[in-house]
Amino acid sequence: MAKDKITSSSTAEYFSKNLQQVGFSSPTKAVLTTLKESVDNSLDACEEQGILPEISVQIEKLGVGTLKNTDLIRIKVEDNGPGLSLDDVPKVFGEYLASSKFGRGRCSRGQQGIGISAATTWAQLTSAKGVTVVTKTKTMRQPVQVQVAVDIKHNKGLLKEKKDGKLKGPHGLSVEFIIDGRIQLQGEGGLITYLTGTALVNPHLTLHYTLPEQKTITIPRVSNESPDVPNATEPHPHTMKLGEFIAHSHLFGRMALKAWLKKGFSRISDNSLAEFVKNGLDKKMLDLSVDKVSETQFKDIFSVIHKTELMSPSTKSVMTIGEASFSKSVRRLGEVDFFSVVTRRPSICDYKPVAVEVAVARLKGLSKGEGSDDGPVQVLRFANRVPLQFDKSACAMVKAIESVNWRSYGLQQPKDSLPLGPYVIAVSLVSPFIKFKNASKETIDASDELVEELRRTLIQAGQRLSRHIKKEHREQDLENKLRYIEQFCPILVDCLCRITQAPDKRKKKATEGLEKILGRDLTVAKKEFKEADLAAKEAAAKGKIQIIKDEETPEESPEENTPEVEVVEKKAKAKPKSAAKAKPAAKGKSKSSVSKEKSAS
Amino acid sequence: MRSDSIPKISKDLCNKMLADLENARRPILEAIKCSLDNSNYSPKVGYLTPGDKKVRTELNVSSVQKMSRAIFLLEVLLRNIDTGAVNTKRELYYIAKGEVKHDPHLKPLDFQDQSESDSVIDFICEMLECYREDLNCYANDRGGQTYSNQLVVTETLPDGTKAVVDLGSLGTSPFQPKNRPQSLQLKAKKKIDFCLVVESEGTANTFVANGFCKRNNSILIGAQGVPSNAVRGWAKLIQDQLKVPIFFFGDLDAYTIQNIYRTLKAGSAASLIRNSDFSAPDVHFLGVLPEDIKKYDLSDYPVKETDVSEARALKKAADALKNDPFFQDKRNKHLSKLLEWLLKNKRRCEQQAFFMVDPRDPTMPEKIIVEKIKKGIYL
Repeated sequence: MAKDKITSSSTAEYFSKNLQQVGFSSPTKAVLTTLKESVDNSLDACEEQGILPEISVQIEKLGVGTLKNTDLIRIKVEDNGPGLSLDDVPKVFGEYLASSKFGRGRCSRGQQGIGISAATTWAQLTSAKGVTVVTKTKTMRQPVQVQVAVDIKHNKGLLKEKKDGKLKGPHGLSVEFIIDGRIQLQGEGGLITYLTGTALVNPHLTLHYTLPEQKTITIPRVSNESPDVPNATEPHPHTMKLGEFIAHSHLFGRMALKAWLKKGFSRISDNSLAEFVKNGLDKKMLDLSVDKVSETQFKDIFSVIHKTELMSPSTKSVMTIGEASFSKSVRRLGEVDFFSVVTRRPSICDYKPVAVEVAVARLKGLSKGEGSDDGPVQVLRFANRVPLQFDKSACAMVKAIESVNWRSYGLQQPKDSLPLGPYVIAVSLVSPFIKFKNASKETIDASDELVEELRRTLIQAGQRLSRHIKKEHREQDLENKLRYIEQFCPILVDCLCRITQAPDKRKKKATEGLEKILGRDLTVAKKEFKEADLAAKEAAAKGKIQIIKDEETPEESPEENTPEVEVVEKKAKAKPKSAAKAKPAAKGKSKSSVSKEKSAS
Repeated sequence: MRSDSIPKISKDLCNKMLADLENARRPILEAIKCSLDNSNYSPKVGYLTPGDKKVRTELNVSSVQKMSRAIFLLEVLLRNIDTGAVNTKRELYYIAKGEVKHDPHLKPLDFQDQSESDSVIDFICEMLECYREDLNCYANDRGGQTYSNQLVVTETLPDGTKAVVDLGSLGTSPFQPKNRPQSLQLKAKKKIDFCLVVESEGTANTFVANGFCKRNNSILIGAQGVPSNAVRGWAKLIQDQLKVPIFFFGDLDAYTIQNIYRTLKAGSAASLIRNSDFSAPDVHFLGVLPEDIKKYDLSDYPVKETDVSEARALKKAADALKNDPFFQDKRNKHLSKLLEWLLKNKRRCEQQAFFMVDPRDPTMPEKIIVEKIKKGIYL
């Protein structure tokens, strides 16, 4: 017998001792994770209610932190969401695993209900204060301010200091954490990287942020459509394991097997049932009551279902940003030269529905580091529209990027590495069940199926991009050749004539001959450029390339404009008239190109 | 090739190019391909010789820059031959830059760094199948410091006069051979028993200071790493004119065997056209040998594969076993086996390790070397 008593501890107790597992492994990460959890919750809440989110973020240093080498940081996030009732506030902010989304199979950012409670715990542990929440729902008369702490022993949220609060809008929620941490603005784990990344994959978001010693920056929304968060659909049989399949049957009680299959699963129709029979299922079994089916029979049914090809899982359960909105959002990244955007039709990877979206953009103006001319491209990773900022190398998305041969699309790339150049590759993965490598959701597990799906999307984006890059290369080639002929012809002939002491007559004839020879090369180069130009123009005619000649702000671009490759030729002054002229040409066609692309993929 | 034939060959070549241009035909420049895949080795010849492969540069928009630069530098080199002026590669780089500076029309030819003009000079040599020295271009060659009490060198100077240098009269100062060994005549005052080429110039200097040349009728040369043209040409001259056995003493590692010793013995792939005069096929590898480590209990140590240069040396050695005709030849099986041993065991032993055999006797390495030569313990 063991001498020590076996005791059980609460979930809160476990996480309070293992906060590093949920994103609080360093002071820098603590600030980012707290911000991230607050913004994620705000976005989820707004989308649930169909509200266009407007979020304000304020981060400031208040002094020196209690932990070594840390500052005391105040993080305040305010949204215009539906607000929380006072009953829900302690559950959301002070109780672990209390979530409205756990296991529901929806593509929300938060899933388990751990993150924001962990942030409260961190605040409590480092500054002895929980989180200050101000909330107002539509039914509340005025905003209420409370302080929430985590009762670590019992995994419960505790409300303190209830009083009247202030909010900007008619409804919404504001959270304020005072924590020990360190602020990193730029780079992979930087706050600015997080905020701009969040804006990129949430085109409907208006974001105001104030960071220490900086002016308030506003990133306005580029889409006025709040994404419909799809309801969870019935499970797809191919996404289940045998145990889950049998357990699922218990939810339906007495019911004929065929009725259960049709009602309890998505993508099973009468035709599918006929296919099952063709593939060896006993027809009589379909009329059996589900509660009478033995385990062996379940096994047979399950294997027949897996042998039979079914329609892919419902696309309704997987939401995407969409090529149109993503295209507009990409232009908020900075001075974009041109870009391509691909949204692939959802498919099954590792028994789960996933949708991948990729944007590849060439930027101007980066001189060193990631995304500069010589450095590796900047990779932005998103899972359910949340930026992933750490442990890049182990992530499925980076592995997929490295596996693509970008050289064939005109980019430089060392072997098995990220391509080089002033590009941003943004990869967004949306799925109700994303397989993360850890609880802090920093890296996506690189399964072969998922990497392949990501790779295909990247290839599609690269192919679209290459049309424009090839045209550029040909253009450059032609320019070089013209320059070379002009520069070197006279030098070569002069040198030869001096060495041979040839008379002027020979010199003249040789110059003419040389011009003829190089002229032939030039004709070939011109032809190649013409072909590349034609291909680019054809693509433009199909809506695959759009050339915008004047300065254009994202808001000015038409809503329905959905180019696959956009070429932004920015000039000094905006000329609204010509911009207006340029736009309608692509309007009608671009929409059809998206639908064509979707059906093709 | 003699220097005086170069202007004629160059003029003919340029005339042909000009005629091609007059007829709107693309001129083609051909040069021997100087690379391992175009190297042949025969033990009868003793050094790497070029195969049939040629690098053809046809005039087109992409090659017009290279061709223009080649003809431009050829003109500079022909002028040097005409006036008898000599230059180093570095000086030629600046001469080319000076020409560009004084004639703005030549600006497109401007070289951004010396490596660009160097490669054009090498291309001209390969095209004309001549030595760089034939074009009056001399490298600032290092290494080859030579000590001997028996050797007398007679040098024919450009003006035809002769200079006689008795190496025995130089004390501990070395004689430095130039990279045009053809102008030197060697004579032995007394019978010379052997010539020893030591990889480390510092160790060669130590040997002399400790009286190596007083006790041994020998020629002692410090190679200073990979032998330069001067060292290679000098060793060839000693081999041919004095007919004394030559031994190489260096580290036991892949780089020394595959790069330093192979270059001294059989030349290199990069200088295929000059190996006949710049390699000494009779040179033997005296050590350090793997058996020396056991016999003298020398301190050896593992190769650091994490070190970029050492990892590269191992990779190059593995490539040499597969692709280098020198190591593939049956007669050099003992050397390829040594390379295999080094690749397998991944250990190295430095030449200076001989000083640990008897740390109180500074002449111990000399004693071991002389014993090895007498007993024939070398490859």
